[in-house]
Amino acid sequence: MGKKLVIIGAGAGGGSIAAEAKRQDPELTISIIEAGPHVATAA
Amino acid sequence: MPYYIGDVIKDANKLTARTPEKFREGGIEVMQNNRVERVDTDAQEVLLEDGAKIPYDILALGTGTTAMRAGIPGEDMDGVFVLKHLGDALNIKRYLKDNKCQKAIVVGAGFIGMEVCEAFATLGMETSVVHRGQYPANRWDPELSGFILEEIRKNQVTFHTNMQIIAIEKGPQHPLRLHTNQGPLDGDLILLALGVKPDVALAKGMGLAIGQSGAVAVNYSQQTSIPNIYAAGDCCEAYHRVSRRWVNIPLGDIANKQGRVAGSVIGGKPMIFPGIVGAQSFRIFHLEAAATGINEKEALGVGYCPVSDITWGNATAASMPGPKKLGLKLIADRVTGRLLGAQAVGEKGAVGRINTLSAALWTGMRLDEIGYLDLAYAPPFSGSWDIIHIAAQKLLRKM
Repeated sequence: MGKKLVIIGAGAGGGSIAAEAKRQDPELTISIIEAGPHVATAA
Repeated sequence: MPYYIGDVIKDANKLTARTPEKFREGGIEVMQNNRVERVDTDAQEVLLEDGAKIPYDILALGTGTTAMRAGIPGEDMDGVFVLKHLGDALNIKRYLKDNKCQKAIVVGAGFIGMEVCEAFATLGMETSVVHRGQYPANRWDPELSGFILEEIRKNQVTFHTNMQIIAIEKGPQHPLRLHTNQGPLDGDLILLALGVKPDVALAKGMGLAIGQSGAVAVNYSQQTSIPNIYAAGDCCEAYHRVSRRWVNIPLGDIANKQGRVAGSVIGGKPMIFPGIVGAQSFRIFHLEAAATGINEKEALGVGYCPVSDITWGNATAASMPGPKKLGLKLIADRVTGRLLGAQAVGEKGAVGRINTLSAALWTGMRLDEIGYLDLAYAPPFSGSWDIIHIAAQKLLRKM
């Protein structure tokens, strides 16, 4: 199993980290923790 | 989000770049409505408020910013909003729908305040802006922000200057009354647009280094002071290529790029975030406002010898009909002749000029080079000497 990446915050920064990390290393296990109900929103 | 509130963007779903379902399809778990209590960096665990523990090998922070509050009585009342998250935009929209809102008050005259006052006025509400200073958008010089102020007033928005807010309470005719140092203002809705600050509470708890800007310190690979912890976006700093300092400029385009760099590094492909030049823009009714680089005060603070000049001209050939008034301020370094910054406000073409000048800042171009840059000329888009050429040559003569 790949390494475990945990991201805190699902805004523009957190969302981009998750997408690119997965693209580069599909073996990564990724969880995004978001305080609110919405993710990856545009300002 | 201001354009969603103003009904320009009709569908809130269009504001979401990637849905939780889309993330999950891509094999990424999304845990919404989960607050992090703290992070144990020794055990490499994230502790949630509900008691759950999530172990990690690599951690990344995208905690963003928090909206500044006014710290006055009544700011938590119904009808008083900030605009930070999509949830705020949805709440404002719902409140507007459920209540017959006729009068809106925007507190703050930064770019969010400006965009929202346009949205409220466009919806037909009697809108006023409450500002503690004299001119809106303080990144721009008074001569340029004066043009913005004229535009605001031309569109029937009342702009109150030098006004301090004191308290909010129930109003006699409208639901809310805002007390100020210049008397009360009544309204159906109050938006507090007082700015944001980086959300570094968790980072501080973890003992991560915080930079002078107050945001999380990172290197060019987006690594924090603990190597297996990364940060990207509004919560962290970015290297400013003109001031050569680490700064915090909370804008979504920077967040996207930093996030992609961090993700690439984490995924095993090394990458460097090349920094920023501080490019920024907003629209207010029929005006474009844009700026890039640094101003004279910032330039002096980092050891430059700034000289500047404002040029008023046209976005198109002077002979072309239609709105075209454009003001461009350039700031340059007397010692090296290099451009340090630019500000533009115009009925047209301000953002395009600032984008061009951002590229010039990026490569460290001098005014003499900018004065003869090959730009795309045609009468609908510029004079045969573009305002960029004119301004650069004019400032060069002052050096």
